[in-house]
Amino acid sequence: MIPRYQKIVFVVLLVVSIVMGTILVRLREQAHDRLLKGEDVAPTVAPAVAPAEQATLVVANDSDGTLVEEAQSLPLPKDAEARARALLDKLLDMYAGPGSLHPVPGVPKSVLQVFLLPEAQGTGAKAANGGQLAVVDLAGAFADGHPSGILTESLTVESICGTLRANLPRITEVRFLVDGQPRATLAGHADLTRTYLTGDSLASAAVAGNPEGRP
Amino acid sequence: MIPIFKHMLTRYSGWLLTAGVVGILTCTGLGQRPTSSGGQTAPVPAQKSASPARFVVVLDAAHGGDDGGGQVGASVAEKTVTLALSVRLRSLLTARGFTVVTTREGNVNLTSDARAQIANHATAGSGGAACLSLHASEAGAGVHIFVSSLAPTQSARFLAWKTAQSAYVARSLKLAGTVNSAFEHSSTPSGGDSADANAGPIPATLARASLPGVDSMTCPAVAIEVAPIRSADRTVVTEVTDPQYQTQIVETLAAALLEWKTDQETDSHPSGGRLP
Repeated sequence: MIPRYQKIVFVVLLVVSIVMGTILVRLREQAHDRLLKGEDVAPTVAPAVAPAEQATLVVANDSDGTLVEEAQSLPLPKDAEARARALLDKLLDMYAGPGSLHPVPGVPKSVLQVFLLPEAQGTGAKAANGGQLAVVDLAGAFADGHPSGILTESLTVESICGTLRANLPRITEVRFLVDGQPRATLAGHADLTRTYLTGDSLASAAVAGNPEGRP
Repeated sequence: MIPIFKHMLTRYSGWLLTAGVVGILTCTGLGQRPTSSGGQTAPVPAQKSASPARFVVVLDAAHGGDDGGGQVGASVAEKTVTLALSVRLRSLLTARGFTVVTTREGNVNLTSDARAQIANHATAGSGGAACLSLHASEAGAGVHIFVSSLAPTQSARFLAWKTAQSAYVARSLKLAGTVNSAFEHSSTPSGGDSADANAGPIPATLARASLPGVDSMTCPAVAIEVAPIRSADRTVVTEVTDPQYQTQIVETLAAALLEWKTDQETDSHPSGGRLP
């Protein structure tokens, strides 16, 4: 004979189990709905096409070792890092194109990433002015395929620095990585371990062929 | 006891005197052979004169060993061309009375620091100096003359290794100007496979660049990069490997260095005296 109080406990536990099971099923359905809702939202919004803007590319010329500013119209994203990468992609695409005055073999993704960092503390007035350090991560295939020579390598480096400075004036310093790692030289000559000052690049463009800067 | 001491003093006085002199010389360092300054270990320069007021030219043939540098011409490594230029130039300069130090005489590996060490040891205490880093490339045209892109600074007793050249940038710019002037008065090689023989001077380009070896040199230093001679449509007229082209270049460089040496002597001693 089962006591009366045990029957009551059994019924209560049964009811609680059924209620908990129902709640769990309902919560699972809600989570599934949220997941489906998220998946639905992601692909239905088309990526916004950035409007074409005027940009200045500092283009190298191997024949006379000069850097020349060239205006180009190209779509540029709003984000500064993406903008910098788009500019450098365009610059290096030009070098890879036929008839380039600074021929450099192109690879599908020459610039892997551009990181913009605030300048290190203690660099004086530049830091106070909100100067930025751009870290340009080049693809290893690009560096490996770059023609070897002091002139051609220096011009590539200087044109990258000059292009960044011309379009993103806050960038005052540039450092280079290759495949995310420091590398001694671009292709055997140009020093990639140092920090390049973008002001020097523009000066180089202005006084090419006159290293003493005399008028 | 006293006669015994007297006897020993008489007998061994010569030995004592010799030991004393040797001890004094050892303590003062006068008895040691001259060593390289700075106490750093560096490869021994190929040639070095002991003349205190010598004018030293350091020739640094870039690359070497496992580091072949770029590809020049059809299948020639840059290291081979730079060594050939270095050997030719050394012969010309030696014949003109220069003291020449080369960083390498064969196909050996040398770091940029080792090259700068050789140059700095060789030029330390010299009456005048010029350091040339020789390169070759397929890119560009003519001869490219590079000076360190470091900002000029005043000379100091101690210089940072990576930027030691900054104290010599002003003189390096003058040296580059002299070399550029010599190329402006040069003529392109005749004969060979040159289509435009005697068409004019070898084109020279002056520029600034950051070069690890040159940036550490404590002497007036330039990097010379030899590129092919090209026509107006940028086709190669004369290859870097052309022996006549190389001869023309080393002769022009030798003439430039001779002028540089004369200028240095004139600047140091307008009355025509010896270098300090």
